[in-house]
Amino acid sequence: MSSALSFADDAANSPSRAGRAPYGNYRLGPAYDEMFAADGAPRPHYAALCDRLANLPPEELLRRQQACETSFLHQGITFTVYSDKQATERIIPTDLLPRIVTAAEWARIEAGLKQRILALNCFLRDIYSDGRVLKDGLLPRSMIYGSRHYRREMRALPVPHDAYVNVCGTDLVRREDGAFVVLEDNLRVPSGVSYMLANRDVVRRAFPGLFRSQGVRSIDHYPRELLATLRSLTPVREDVSIAVLTPGVFNSAYFEHAFLARQMGVELVEGRDLLVNDNIVYARTTSGLKRIDVIYRRIDDDFIDHLIFREDSSLGVSGLFNAYRAGNVVIANALGTGVADDKAVYSYVPRLIRYYLSEEPILENVETFLCREPKSLSHVLANLDKLVVKAVGESGGYGMLVGPHASKGEREAFAAKLKADPENYIAQPTIQLSTAPTLVDGGVEPRHVDLRPFILHGEKTVLVPGAFTRVALRRGSLVVNSSQGGGSKDTWVLSQ
Amino acid sequence: MLSRVADSLYWMSRYIERAEHTARLIAVKLEAMVEQSREDAESGWGRVIAALSAEQRLKGCTDTAAVVRELVFERLNESSLLSSLSFARENARQVREHLTVEVWENLNRLYLHLQSLDREENWRHNPSHLFRDALQALHALGGVTDSTLSHGEGWYFLEMGRHIERAQLVCRLLNLHFGPTQSIVPNTPTYFDWLVLLKFCSAFEPYCKVYTAAIRPEKIAEFLLFDAEFPHSVRFSIDRVCEALTRVAPAAPPGRRARVERLAGRLKASADFTQIDEVMRGSIARFLAEIADKCEQIHEAVYEAYITYGAETVL
Repeated sequence: MSSALSFADDAANSPSRAGRAPYGNYRLGPAYDEMFAADGAPRPHYAALCDRLANLPPEELLRRQQACETSFLHQGITFTVYSDKQATERIIPTDLLPRIVTAAEWARIEAGLKQRILALNCFLRDIYSDGRVLKDGLLPRSMIYGSRHYRREMRALPVPHDAYVNVCGTDLVRREDGAFVVLEDNLRVPSGVSYMLANRDVVRRAFPGLFRSQGVRSIDHYPRELLATLRSLTPVREDVSIAVLTPGVFNSAYFEHAFLARQMGVELVEGRDLLVNDNIVYARTTSGLKRIDVIYRRIDDDFIDHLIFREDSSLGVSGLFNAYRAGNVVIANALGTGVADDKAVYSYVPRLIRYYLSEEPILENVETFLCREPKSLSHVLANLDKLVVKAVGESGGYGMLVGPHASKGEREAFAAKLKADPENYIAQPTIQLSTAPTLVDGGVEPRHVDLRPFILHGEKTVLVPGAFTRVALRRGSLVVNSSQGGGSKDTWVLSQ
Repeated sequence: MLSRVADSLYWMSRYIERAEHTARLIAVKLEAMVEQSREDAESGWGRVIAALSAEQRLKGCTDTAAVVRELVFERLNESSLLSSLSFARENARQVREHLTVEVWENLNRLYLHLQSLDREENWRHNPSHLFRDALQALHALGGVTDSTLSHGEGWYFLEMGRHIERAQLVCRLLNLHFGPTQSIVPNTPTYFDWLVLLKFCSAFEPYCKVYTAAIRPEKIAEFLLFDAEFPHSVRFSIDRVCEALTRVAPAAPPGRRARVERLAGRLKASADFTQIDEVMRGSIARFLAEIADKCEQIHEAVYEAYITYGAETVL
């Protein structure tokens, strides 16, 4: 029996009252805690970790955490911070303690996400062809045709297997009641999968015994599955030439682009390596030009071809879109997928699932108020102090108001913006994301986390049993974005 | 292989070679100084500074700590050890997927280590120890590159970069000892300087095996220029460059290779068939300049044929 468990028995609601290292500061709040149940006893799938942590001296935990950070630094998993002409490289903070998901929870997540990506792909095919869903009045036309992510150029263009979104990273959060709900879909160029794999590498080394005894499912085949997905998109069967297209070494996700190219054994290219002649895409090699069949692009739509999209872009390739339209190259994800992941369309996804698949959604959405609807707008304005308001087309935690944490002045300023352009905003109740044990100053404390699994969709739909868990490292903070002080954790999906 | 990748590999390797050269010169010099008079020690720095192209920045500076700081850590000095390593690392980062974990981590670790030494300034206590360590790490990097990376086209670009750089650096070093460089270094070299020259090229023991410990300038020149087996001789480097040239761009049509191969053949002929007494009788400075110049021409021809060619020439 674990020590924390026995102590927690006498001190309901707060395992911290046990006062035993390393849980001296572990206070349960209103949020669902991944490790401890409300009565302070560790949940069964966390018991082994809970026990292990209680038996490790704090300096040993700290040593393992440092080993893990050094490993990231040496591997070059860093981003650059520029301040007074000194460029410093920092690692993305990574937390040693794994976040654990049970087999039953994962089964539900997997089924729910497969259902969701299927419906979203049906939706994309529909709005880029006949627009049946709009004729049936399920969503307002203006929401789609007025979206800045809708690409007219994609209309009536066939896409292999009707798979527009080939790589999707969906953010899930766990509500107070313990249910996983979808917070947002990332259908453009989702990143983070390299952290899923890199975290696994270091955490497996830090807790080898625990890892083996827990029956953690393997995720190492992700690059192979990604390669298979990309291959399935082209009719070319022999000598398929696949490339990962990166904006370059200054992009914050460059490590991931290089990592995936290396792990798949394909070429990593920049826009300047490619050229289009007679609607065929070539890479410049030492031996001459080499044809490219599939591009896994990690560049936004806007920058991919300056002849068609943004003129000022130098990251992409002139003529790429025409080669794509001619069917001579496959681009994954397809262009124009962003129209389906904005925050207004998000609120319709459960209805889209029913509409296209005639099924009930397996995973719920977070309750969402569309400010374009007058009734919702007045509700939002009246409850600004309780809600999170987000701009429809933004991501990465930008352009949002967290009502409960904002000052009166900030709320008033935001209310004015809302009234001026209600269509551009949605609002959601503040969700207490679940908390997971996290190493803080040698002790273990709860911190809020979300969960981003990656879904691959080509000829088949595949989920690797793992995810990028983001953690808000500041006490009490609910913002997990890496661009705003979030870190990451390894995610263990158990086989039973 | 992508042209951009070839470019980065080539430069990564040149910068690593430059870093190794810098580390060795300074390590050898610091160890040698212990046995030298103050005057000799100072003039010796003159040669090291000139060999590392830092004459302008270090004009009149005789303080050892300041010289070492400039040659090793100064970022504004583009040929300092830390700058070379930083350029090597930036190139490596751009082609990370073409390197093995071992190659990247060895390079990255060394860079981060030196950078932290610079910040802490505690290298001053025992500098020669530090450079021996750095040299050791660079040798390990070379070994790991040879033993973990496939010897395919990319590896041959690394090999080409390393040896083009090495040939040019050795030529420059020889010129500073044999050529008319009085303006830079007033003293004519002494016995001790010849010894140090051999050590600058990690050639002391290999030289003794061929010519015994009798130190004779002409033999040193012969060894460092024309020895076929010693890895830091100019001829050895040229051989490696020529071999690499037959292995890169395997699918390029013969027409594209013609100029590169012609230039390489000529350079190899002059390294293989020139005799040291001809060189010593004539102007050694001119001979060295010719070699360095031909290396430069090969570099340009390689770029034109494989890396910066216009797309219209191949469509």
